[in-house]
Amino acid sequence: MEVKKSKKARYFAASESAIPASSAGAPLVVEVEPSLSTSIIEKSKKREARRSGQPQKQKRLDKRQGDGVLVARGRPDPFSGSHAPVPKEKLHKYSREKPSKGASSLVRMKDKALKNTLQLRQKKVSLAIQEAVRAEHLNTEDAGFLEGDVGEDTEDITQQAIAEFVDVASSQKHFELSLTQFGPYRVNYTRNGRFLLLGGERGHVAAIDWPTKRLLSEFNVMESVHDVKWLHVETMLAVAQKQWTYIYDQQGIELHCLKTLDRTLRLEFLPYHFLLAASNAAGFLSYLDISVGKKIAAFPTHLGRCDVMCQNPRNAVVHLGHPTGVVTLWSPNDSRPLVKMLCHGSALRAVAVDSRGTTMATAAVDRSLKVWDLRNYGCLGEFRLASAAAHLDFSQTGMLAAALGSYLEVFKSCSTVAELSQPYLTHRCWDSIANVQFCPFEDVLGVGHAKGFVSCLVPGAGEANFDALEANPYESRSQRRQREVKSLLDKIPAELIALEPSQVNSVQQTTEEQARPPSQRIPKVEFEPRFKKKGKSKASHEQARIQAVHERQRREFVQQSLSSKKGESKARPTAVLDRFRRQ
Amino acid sequence: MRVKVLSRSPEEYFRATKRDIHRIPRNFNPDLHPLEAPREYVRALNATKLERVFAKPFIRSLEGHRDAVHCMCRHPSSLSLVLSGACDGEVVLWSLSGKKVVSRVTAHQGFVRGVCISDSLSLAFSAGDDQLLKQWSLTKDGVLGTEPASVYSTQGPVTALDCSCDGTHLATGGDTVLLWSPERSEPLRRFEWGNDSHSAVKFSPVERHLVASCSGDRGVVLCDLRGAQPLKKVVLRMRSNAVCWSPTEAFILAVANDDYNVYSFDMRRLDMPLNIHKDHVAAVTCVDFSPTGRELCSGSVDKTVRLFSLVEGHSRDVYHTKRMQRLTAVLWSADDRYVISASDEMNIRLWKARAAEPLSILRWRQREALEYSASLRAKYASHPEIRRIARHRHVPKSIYHARQELHTVHEAAKKREKNRAAHSKDKKAPLPEKDNVVLEECE
Repeated sequence: MEVKKSKKARYFAASESAIPASSAGAPLVVEVEPSLSTSIIEKSKKREARRSGQPQKQKRLDKRQGDGVLVARGRPDPFSGSHAPVPKEKLHKYSREKPSKGASSLVRMKDKALKNTLQLRQKKVSLAIQEAVRAEHLNTEDAGFLEGDVGEDTEDITQQAIAEFVDVASSQKHFELSLTQFGPYRVNYTRNGRFLLLGGERGHVAAIDWPTKRLLSEFNVMESVHDVKWLHVETMLAVAQKQWTYIYDQQGIELHCLKTLDRTLRLEFLPYHFLLAASNAAGFLSYLDISVGKKIAAFPTHLGRCDVMCQNPRNAVVHLGHPTGVVTLWSPNDSRPLVKMLCHGSALRAVAVDSRGTTMATAAVDRSLKVWDLRNYGCLGEFRLASAAAHLDFSQTGMLAAALGSYLEVFKSCSTVAELSQPYLTHRCWDSIANVQFCPFEDVLGVGHAKGFVSCLVPGAGEANFDALEANPYESRSQRRQREVKSLLDKIPAELIALEPSQVNSVQQTTEEQARPPSQRIPKVEFEPRFKKKGKSKASHEQARIQAVHERQRREFVQQSLSSKKGESKARPTAVLDRFRRQ
Repeated sequence: MRVKVLSRSPEEYFRATKRDIHRIPRNFNPDLHPLEAPREYVRALNATKLERVFAKPFIRSLEGHRDAVHCMCRHPSSLSLVLSGACDGEVVLWSLSGKKVVSRVTAHQGFVRGVCISDSLSLAFSAGDDQLLKQWSLTKDGVLGTEPASVYSTQGPVTALDCSCDGTHLATGGDTVLLWSPERSEPLRRFEWGNDSHSAVKFSPVERHLVASCSGDRGVVLCDLRGAQPLKKVVLRMRSNAVCWSPTEAFILAVANDDYNVYSFDMRRLDMPLNIHKDHVAAVTCVDFSPTGRELCSGSVDKTVRLFSLVEGHSRDVYHTKRMQRLTAVLWSADDRYVISASDEMNIRLWKARAAEPLSILRWRQREALEYSASLRAKYASHPEIRRIARHRHVPKSIYHARQELHTVHEAAKKREKNRAAHSKDKKAPLPEKDNVVLEECE
């Protein structure tokens, strides 16, 4: 949503975008009140001084120097002030805007009152960031890790070895379920990582409280199951079946049959928008608002059967992978894709987006794995896998899991090709892997394959410190109910789904092209290329021709405008001393 | 091999007993909190909607007068006491907290034109159409004496009465502005500027020597009691009905005008108003400052009370009821929480100063939530959807249409001026509206 605002409002918006939402950011401002402890210390010092008979000279020596540093006996107090110093490199992690932008605009500002307000706001923002950094001390857990001995690669370390090495509670997180009848299995964890949903293609659906290994329910839908997804709470789950999509509750009781979502192949749930996105065999992408049960949008992709899908958690945009090697990015507000990327020369098998929403990994049938930067849609690296990856998934810490047949490879990071050539962990399953998903807030990777399910230990995969207001693995029933109500109140309307989620806080800005008067704009001419035979009217060729025409027009226009400017400058009489004139 | 796998001990995350509160570990890493901006926007939208849902400003109507209420004043030191004078000569002392009449006395024959209270002397004063200025004893509990402590003749018609902030001087408006001392039966001083009568008199609550009055010749006259002559006079386009001083900034005063507007002036620069507060659709009869000096309330013949911010041109809220008739007096309570209005149909009404504010004592969490929603509303105030909801007020049909008509008239005049300027010889742009308010400023 773009909003046109006054100058004043724009400055406010620009600076305020950095103030985090209360549940989402604003840390408690913990101010250490030194009064009590220092007063006790001072009293005891005085008492000592009285006993030893010294006059209270020391008091006179204690002086506050200019910047509030307490100097006692000529030595500065190492713990001055109530705030601990904050390392600068950590500030970057919590800041939401580019630092240079706000500061420079304030310097030139003439309105003093507004300037003061904005400076005050900037101070508040920077204080909030500092306090967020200081609050890191309160984080209790440390992330996991795995290091091999000298000469030992971590990829050679087996799951059994890890499970034997770690504590009992952690070793129990590695387990296998042998479900030979109804596979291959689709896997889904809840957002807090507490519950696991398994969907076997031959109808078997099981909901498990996996840390305690308690089976919540298990049933057979007597139809093929293409995908399973938890909805906003662990009492509701969506199952994409042969014809329709169904919603069941925890006990396996059918709540709804969604006939508007038919022949669904993949499901994605957008938790903040309460949208269930479904792609189907006819190449349609549909969005269903599960809070009101209404289909809000459905678009044909025109790119054929659609069984590769993932969502970008940063902006709730759905990524679809197509048999043409194209990845399309969708929002429910546009009937055409927001972005269309030609990622591979062959059919796509898997797409995954990391938790920060900046990196996308794609895998195609030609065994290639590509990593993309979603900020500029550039390819960060290409790598050839041992076989085509059937599925990819990113962990919260940026690890990438790839399912290569029955072989599982986990890469520690995918920012460089070197990291991709050396897997962090590997695992061999009984049968070909259908689906992998990292469990949030745990060092666990769930792997669904043709003959069951394996829970693998991947040290360092999960975010160590969860935020209980966002996703709480130790949620009680009352907390879950409260969360459901609150998240429904905070339900973001689907209209706000866009590539840049902070757009709602920004001001609509005209481009340079729009700002020009109409006479100076580059004219846009509609050009429809003629049909040519012998394959010269392929889409790529046609596009190239259109591009060429537009480019020629642009060049001509610029040349014309330049020559007219030159003519103007020549017309001016030049004096000998003009060369010394300041430009 | 060195390995560590995340292994949380559940005891650290569950509460110890059922009576404990739940443990809420936080992590402020922005990556764990996606979609901050849209979520915050939705919260701001909900907060705005809830604010409108809970906006129930009317608290109660105080009944007890037997004729239209004509004037009102609040007790200088008691929050709950309000003195009012009616058109049948009755003066009533109200307790707002008890919502009842504390004492009543028939003070005058004909209208009571003004009432005021001197805290230091424990006296209440009233002046009426019978050309008498009466003093009434007033106890701490708010009991008025049944008989006047003393009665002075005003030697002419009185239209207004006010008492200085220290309670030692009185001023009456009439043919001239008269200055009285409570101890003396004769006026101390007489301030005259022109021949017209003065319809409103107000002492500054900060500078005890300053008096402002509205004269019938469309002027607002400022007098310093220490000077021989009135200080300044500013003539507006239409007559002013009421004047009041800012309680925090001694140089700011607001004037309720017959041309439907309230004007706020800086005393040091009277050639142009600080601000024009528009929105009433009939003559404004009364005006009062909030104790913070940042806001104004005004009552009008259009049967509404409007609340203005001092720095904004349009009202932030409008209060009306089906039964409320033309407003005669408005007061802003000294604790900044209530607005009191008196109107022609014999009732005094008590309103909340901020319509959605809860009146009860708040728990810490409630207050936190309210503050959070207030800051959200402020942050997203300029978003079109939020602004639309926040600005929407239901007003009676007559007022709605009158506003539209006034808007049309105003726009047409603006356009006319613009056209005239465009086709004139010197192509001078029309003056801004503020420059056209003051006709004359006399020293």
